Amino acid sequence: MSYYFTVLSPTDVPLFNIAFGTSKSGGDGIARFRFPDTAQYMNQFIIHSSLDVVEEAQWMNGNMYLKHIDTYPPASAYISAFLTPSGARFLLLHQPPQLPTNASSATTGSSSLLGSSFSGSAGSSSRASASSVAANPTSPQTEEAVRQFMTEVYENYVKTVMSPFYRQGMEIKSSVFRSKVTAAGRKWL
Amino acid sequence: MTSPGDAAPVKPPPSFSPGVPRVASKTRYPNQRRDSSPSLDADLGDSRLRSSPTPPLSATTSDLPIRSASPRPQSFRSSTPQLARSSLGSPVEGRFEGSEEIRSLIIRSFSPVVGVCASADTDELVRQKGFAGGFWELIRPFGENIPGKIVIRDSVGASRGWEDFGVRFVDLAGKTPTPNDSSAGRSSSLAQVEDVLDKQLGSTDDPLGGSLRPKDFLSFPTTSPLYKVFLRQLLSISSATPHETFRHPVASIIAISSRNTAPLETLRQLYADTNNGNKKVPDWVHPEYLRYYVLVHDEDRDDIAESTKLYDQMKRHFGLHCHLLRLRSNQCVVTDDDSAQVPECEWQSPAERLSGRIEPLVDLDTNGLLYLFESDVMAIKAFVRELVAQSVIPYMENRVAVWNDQVASRRRGISGRFMSMSRRWAGFGSGSRSSLTAGGASGNYDLSHGYYKADTPEAVLRKMADFAFMLRDWKLSASTYELLRSDYANDKAWRYHAGAYEMCAVSMLLNPSAIGTKMKLDGVDQMFDTACYSYLTRCSDAPNALRCLTLAMELLKSRGGSAVESAARWAMRAMDLGLVGPIGQGLFSERVSACYAARAPVSGMKWGSRHRKAGMWSVFAADAWLRLGKPSLASASLEEAERLYADVLDADGSFPMPEMQTFIDNLRHAVKVEYLEARGLDTRDETTTAEALGTEETSEKLDRRRNRKSLIANPLDLGGLGPAQGPRDNDNAANDDFERA
Repeated sequence: MSYYFTVLSPTDVPLFNIAFGTSKSGGDGIARFRFPDTAQYMNQFIIHSSLDVVEEAQWMNGNMYLKHIDTYPPASAYISAFLTPSGARFLLLHQPPQLPTNASSATTGSSSLLGSSFSGSAGSSSRASASSVAANPTSPQTEEAVRQFMTEVYENYVKTVMSPFYRQGMEIKSSVFRSKVTAAGRKWL
Repeated sequence: MTSPGDAAPVKPPPSFSPGVPRVASKTRYPNQRRDSSPSLDADLGDSRLRSSPTPPLSATTSDLPIRSASPRPQSFRSSTPQLARSSLGSPVEGRFEGSEEIRSLIIRSFSPVVGVCASADTDELVRQKGFAGGFWELIRPFGENIPGKIVIRDSVGASRGWEDFGVRFVDLAGKTPTPNDSSAGRSSSLAQVEDVLDKQLGSTDDPLGGSLRPKDFLSFPTTSPLYKVFLRQLLSISSATPHETFRHPVASIIAISSRNTAPLETLRQLYADTNNGNKKVPDWVHPEYLRYYVLVHDEDRDDIAESTKLYDQMKRHFGLHCHLLRLRSNQCVVTDDDSAQVPECEWQSPAERLSGRIEPLVDLDTNGLLYLFESDVMAIKAFVRELVAQSVIPYMENRVAVWNDQVASRRRGISGRFMSMSRRWAGFGSGSRSSLTAGGASGNYDLSHGYYKADTPEAVLRKMADFAFMLRDWKLSASTYELLRSDYANDKAWRYHAGAYEMCAVSMLLNPSAIGTKMKLDGVDQMFDTACYSYLTRCSDAPNALRCLTLAMELLKSRGGSAVESAARWAMRAMDLGLVGPIGQGLFSERVSACYAARAPVSGMKWGSRHRKAGMWSVFAADAWLRLGKPSLASASLEEAERLYADVLDADGSFPMPEMQTFIDNLRHAVKVEYLEARGLDTRDETTTAEALGTEETSEKLDRRRNRKSLIANPLDLGGLGPAQGPRDNDNAANDDFERA
């Protein structure tokens, strides 16, 4: 499972980005997205497009943690969202690992952008047990783990933005915050 | 905007920046448009779009002043020199106009098939007129759209008129593929569709004009014409197969001409041919279909009195289903007074499209196009209308009623359910059926050949459902397909099974009264899923799977509301399964974008729409087109993306995310470079391009200064500068103005 975590300001400007991989079940904590290295902008595209759903879901839902709100099926990317009182939003893109399938070759290599295996998400359960977070991005276990992660990040975020040297809307450059987020990711995801 | 340096990531994209004058894109590429009228139209469309009513309630929110100052109107077409193809003027308009057209296309693709079986002398007569394919080729284009309203009564007795009814004429002598080799032969048909698209793209030297871009910019073409070509081709792939009866003949025309020496014997012979001769239908086609007898009278050579006498004789022998068609046997040429061009066949299969004439535009004055006398056209139209309205439709209505009474109602009733239950569990009670196998199967399914015989109840029910579908009685057809689904599953007739699920879902979506609640839509999704799985995994029937997914997408999209999201999902699924080729990838990306764009925001709120998603998919489509080397299509998609993003981006039009911005800038630059290369400009030398593009901007500055001077400086030194000198003065450097001022 690979993760891409973003903090977005109320005006959709990214304040903080981090990409990391799972540390559970023998993961080494390095993100391996399904897009080639040249197409890492895809994460931002997917995140940005899911804002449509975030905007809708934040009025339909009373919680700060909106759970899994959106899916990008071609890359089986799942988006979970978390709202903060200041209007900043936490968005987590998670993507189950890609199995070595030959389905992606069926698209004749015409588009590295769109061509990725759809069947990867269905078959990924063979690798890990059902309780593992990596197995099923929409399972209650995953939702719970993401909630824990979001809550922990939120606490750290509040402390960071309370810093006297931080003004609202600024990019978060604090290395402490980054390491805290990494630690939370290692702990929960 | 034009310098290649705009690919630098920091700079906001030129088209999003409000300062760029719209005129620039026009003056910069003077040879861009072939004539001025499209640009005029585009301008009209443009202005209409701008004045198109914004959703009334969003106007109450605070974003109205911002929107009016937003870069959208100005940047509308400025990023790339391209006519805007807007897929939605306002959300409401976009959803209705376009979807009605697509809906009609889908409905018309399932029109009844009428076989044609002409005697040798008839074909000979028609060949004299220049139609090499004989009588079938002559009447074929006229069947596709019956002029006037066709009134159809549905199963409950309600009548409804349809403007767009049509029938498909097929040559009965043509080979119908056996079910065994069909799957092998048809898997390549998707490749053929792709070839057709490729040809279509390649044949029009300029995809902006010609047949790809409609002229009516004012009517807001909501789907690209290329996509319509694709859809039409996809829907006309299917030939006669056992698992669905849409391509089985509903009726057959038996035609003789007045030249025949033994007319009645010939008619008998032709009839016998269709029953057990070389034109005999396969086992899985219901052999009882309507026969319609036509006497073709040669106006130029034969005596009408003789023909009338013969016609009366025919009527006495064969009953009401007769027609006397009066045609001239001389060939018509363009220069004739009352010549009329034979219309193009709308529904040609991809194979025909590939082997046929290349393009109507190319060989205008060669023998590619055929002409008919006006009188002949009138006669054929009247004949087809009479055939359909007075024979085919009543026949089909009658069959549906009879089968509904005899077969379907027996199954629907409580005893029918018991019968099928008992048959399923105990293997008895099958009545007249020959029980070959035990267990759950009914025994009617021929496993070795893979079809039901035409007279088994399963096949008859399917035929009835298809008839009801073609008569547009979707309520009846949906319930009948529903009845059939479990039967096919029990018999493990997977292709039938998939077809029943597919058509059941399609009928439910087409049925206007069954407005989809969430529950129902879930059921429809489930059905499409099953159908797609059966087609693809169990039968490896890629063309039908793609047809199923495309129908799902289009019909769900036309439902609007939350259904568009599942529509988009089906389109993505089609792409993921690798069912479409590279051109299809581009088209489907555009479709996904259109699906998301069709989602209207929640009334009174800013949220609820899917503009970001729509924009993203437009960008992907642009990327796909660029990969294919179609920069003009790419720039159209890119513009679409800009338009869609205009609502969600801030005033300067830049993306908040840096990597997205970089990607879009690069894409835009690449599109521009390729576009210019395709236009013949040498872009390898970046400086010359920059210069060539930059000159306009300097002259613009000069222009402005001239205006100012003419306003301010003229009163001062009127004597020195005559008004005639003004224009010449502009050609000088700007320094002069400064000195003078």
